[in-house]
Amino acid sequence: MSTVTIPSRRRDWRRSTAVIIVGAIVIGAFWSVDVNWARLGELPAQIVHYLWLMFSDPDWSKVPEALGQTWKSVAMAWVGTVIGILVSFPLGFLAARGFSPAPVRWSMRLVFAIIRAVPEIIIAIAILSVTGLTPLTGALALAIGSVGTLGKWGYEAIEGVDPGPIEATRASGGNIAQILRWGVWPSATPDFISFWLYRFEINVRSSAVLGLIGVGGIGDMLTSYTQFREWSTVGVLIIVVVIVTMGIDAISGAIRRRIVEGT
Amino acid sequence: MSATGSSVAGTTAGLDLPTRPGGRWKSWCAVGVVVIITAITLSPQWGIAFSLDAIARNWQNGAEKILQLLVPDWSFFPRTVPALVETLQMAVIATFVAAGVSLPLSLATARLTNPNGASRSIVRALLNVVRSIPDLLYAAILVAMVGVGALPGIIALVLFNVGIIVKMVSESIEANDPGALEAGRAAGGNQLQINRATALPDIMPSFINQTLYVLELNVRASSVLGLVGAGGLGLLIDAVRTFYRYDQLSLIILEILMVVMALDVLSNAVRRRLV
Repeated sequence: MSTVTIPSRRRDWRRSTAVIIVGAIVIGAFWSVDVNWARLGELPAQIVHYLWLMFSDPDWSKVPEALGQTWKSVAMAWVGTVIGILVSFPLGFLAARGFSPAPVRWSMRLVFAIIRAVPEIIIAIAILSVTGLTPLTGALALAIGSVGTLGKWGYEAIEGVDPGPIEATRASGGNIAQILRWGVWPSATPDFISFWLYRFEINVRSSAVLGLIGVGGIGDMLTSYTQFREWSTVGVLIIVVVIVTMGIDAISGAIRRRIVEGT
Repeated sequence: MSATGSSVAGTTAGLDLPTRPGGRWKSWCAVGVVVIITAITLSPQWGIAFSLDAIARNWQNGAEKILQLLVPDWSFFPRTVPALVETLQMAVIATFVAAGVSLPLSLATARLTNPNGASRSIVRALLNVVRSIPDLLYAAILVAMVGVGALPGIIALVLFNVGIIVKMVSESIEANDPGALEAGRAAGGNQLQINRATALPDIMPSFINQTLYVLELNVRASSVLGLVGAGGLGLLIDAVRTFYRYDQLSLIILEILMVVMALDVLSNAVRRRLV
């Protein structure tokens, strides 16, 4: 009775092949990439050196300008989110089963997928020949990017709505607008508001890097000071970006939790 | 009550309608706040000065440029191949390294697998800071540290990924049934053994899922890291955008699209197997 029979391990050839394929791809990538791995050895010393340059004596006199630029970035993110919501909301219905015919639905979904695959900064580069190097370009790029994700989440939320109230509205003679108002809207609202806020958080992050191509905001300031290697200012800017992003995340996260919990 | 009678008769005259739930003013307040913030952010002196002037002015030649996006310059293709390969290499390596780093870190940030409150909050706080810095910013600083090339790109992606994977996986650990972990403790295992034997098999599906998701993110992100000198397609994007070669930009976008969508199909197939 004292011997314990351990069940034999299950052998799964599919799993083994998957591991072998993944392993081969990873090893191939490491082997073929053009990287001087020796430089990795200097990295820890470099990190300490640069962290020292950035944070030992931050140039606090730049804080007011940094806050002003950050506000511009946040404004860009806000405008982008609002436009994104206004455009994606009706499009979400056009992509939802039960609200639009299959060809429309699939073409809407394809559009969302294409937008999602392209980074916002490339969208910004593509449109700036028309809109110029202004914060408006940033806002519009973020708006287009938002349509990709908000549209997808939107039709998923609409399709996830309990069909009961929709049928009830239809049975009592409601037209399409009334079905949306009384059958869909009440149960989908928390989802919608929650992912609108989430997308705003994403846009705040993206707006900080859009400055790279010169559309303004904190990203502009960051790239120019990094290029001038004025690390004491870069340190201050990083601190500002981190605090503002975390602050906005905390506020928006708190609102989302309240909405989802239904209070 | 006469109300039942009249509602059967189909009139609403005598029906006792329930009073509307109160608190509707709250949603109107929320709408008001949103409208006010939007107005401020659009205004010229406080916000981003939203105006359609520039668009109207640039419309002529700008539209021409944008139309070029519809006609990709196929002869540019051979030059994009090495850059595309480098982008994929960066994405694969970064995903692999980030997955390896994230696994122990996720166990360290979940309450069930790391009962030590102090170490847990330190790791969590660090990861919160790591997560709030955008990937391109990491890349820009790392290029200054280790020089131009794929290496700063890979490190930037790893930092960006670890934040995401750890958050998602540690949340899925918290959602798990603590029964198995308690059984492990009752059988006399130390925390390491408990995590290895009970938590690890539990979180594998969600871990693989997040890793696949991060791989997709990486292909997209690594295609722009080159804008700050961190290798991959971004270097080319930077070159074509300075010359406004939108026909070439269009080919690059098309390639990113193809790769991201192929990866999406592939990872969906893997996910279906997992569930």
